[in-house]
Amino acid sequence: MGIEQEDLISLKNVTVSFWQNNVGVHSVKDLLVQRKNPFQNKTILHNISLNIKKGQSIGMLGRNGCGKSTLLRTIAGIIKPYTGTVTVNGTFAPILAIGAGLEPELNGYENISLLLSLYGTHRRNTDAVANIKEFSELDDEVLRMPVKRYSSGMVARLAFSISLANEADILIIDEVLAVGDQGFQAKCMKKIYQVKNEGKTILFVSHFPDDVEKICDSAILLEDGVITQTGNAAYVCDKYRQLF
Amino acid sequence: MQNITRVYALSKRNVILRYKSSLIGFFWGFFKPLLYLFIFIVIFSSQFTSVNHYVLFATTGLIFWFFFANVTNQSIANIVGSAGILKSLSIPPIFFPLSDMISELFNLVLTLVVFLILMHWFGIVYSFKLLLILPCAVLFGLFSMGITLMLSSLNVFFRDIGIVWSTVQPALFYLTPIAYPESLIPEHYKFIIKCNPIYYFIQLARDITCNPGMPSARLWLLCAGMAVCMYFAGLLIFNKLKNQFISAI
Repeated sequence: MGIEQEDLISLKNVTVSFWQNNVGVHSVKDLLVQRKNPFQNKTILHNISLNIKKGQSIGMLGRNGCGKSTLLRTIAGIIKPYTGTVTVNGTFAPILAIGAGLEPELNGYENISLLLSLYGTHRRNTDAVANIKEFSELDDEVLRMPVKRYSSGMVARLAFSISLANEADILIIDEVLAVGDQGFQAKCMKKIYQVKNEGKTILFVSHFPDDVEKICDSAILLEDGVITQTGNAAYVCDKYRQLF
Repeated sequence: MQNITRVYALSKRNVILRYKSSLIGFFWGFFKPLLYLFIFIVIFSSQFTSVNHYVLFATTGLIFWFFFANVTNQSIANIVGSAGILKSLSIPPIFFPLSDMISELFNLVLTLVVFLILMHWFGIVYSFKLLLILPCAVLFGLFSMGITLMLSSLNVFFRDIGIVWSTVQPALFYLTPIAYPESLIPEHYKFIIKCNPIYYFIQLARDITCNPGMPSARLWLLCAGMAVCMYFAGLLIFNKLKNQFISAI
């Protein structure tokens, strides 16, 4: 048994729940009259167990709102599980789901520097900045503009390039490919294959089962916070297509 | 080490965001107390002739008050405003109030240095005693941090906190003897002022900068006690709530 056999990520009976708050003027009345708590626990993920080995690429499929992003955030340690354990033996690239982590008021360069240092890459690492610039194909003028003026495609380019710039063991791709133009999509796909060939682990969320089949070895299907199907990518993608 | 870089990056972001498209940017940190001071001098200095060195008296209070007001206001907005980063990176939420504290402490030190020079013309006595302002600032920082942690974590769930705080703050400003001397308050209303913890910190700062003699050990202990208690109470509330931040922002 070598290190290769060890699980990089392992989730045991993970349940994630949120406080769903309906605070508002009406909730004060409810609290006083019916003694109704304005905070209710809503369970998003039920009893998830999942093992991912090093170098594996896993696709995650499911309807909107089934808990895919919550599952990714739980794996990345952003959300703490309510019960169960999450063990990870590697580092993550930031999850920049269509530009979520970018600061709209800051310009491109400031965003790059902020996210790189938050992620732990050295701020003066000029190589990383050059790589991001090259991969995103955004020119100097664009990078000097506040991100709020970017088109959604430009935001996606910047976000994806930043998450690639970190030498992380685990790459999380959350529907970033959907907005880029054809040239950039093809470039991203090429890069993803390259990352995969380097033996890194990829968690890939997409609504296109064809992409999942191309990139991933295996996949899971999430339905209402429960993993209903696991197995090789082609099989799970078939099940996903049958949902609709 | 890595965490220091991260907090530093966040502090830098706060400063850039706060002074975006303003002409003098970071310098507002000490222009604001200066402007207030000017108003106070024009309105009050002829009224309160009982106070020795009125300018020095008011400046000390103002600098400390602005530090407190800025830290609390910024942190309350910061956690809610950083939803994007909190949702995409695994980063301890306490880094956000901490980064505000650091940028404000830096600002405070800068302001103190500038005013230390300015006050040369307003009767400050330069001596090693003035160095005591640093431990005093640390204690007040700890106290402010406690309040900040409490308010900013509760504000995630009840946005009313931010609104109430911005209304209560001016009241608190006038309840604390910053612009006027304490002796102005009638004896039987003094207990209101004595209930206000900020009063003691400003008293301590004034004992260092304008009153002769050393601040009493009792005052030091009182301030240290309040600072530590407030900090741990704030930390307790913050830690209880931090895991649910993501569901509410």
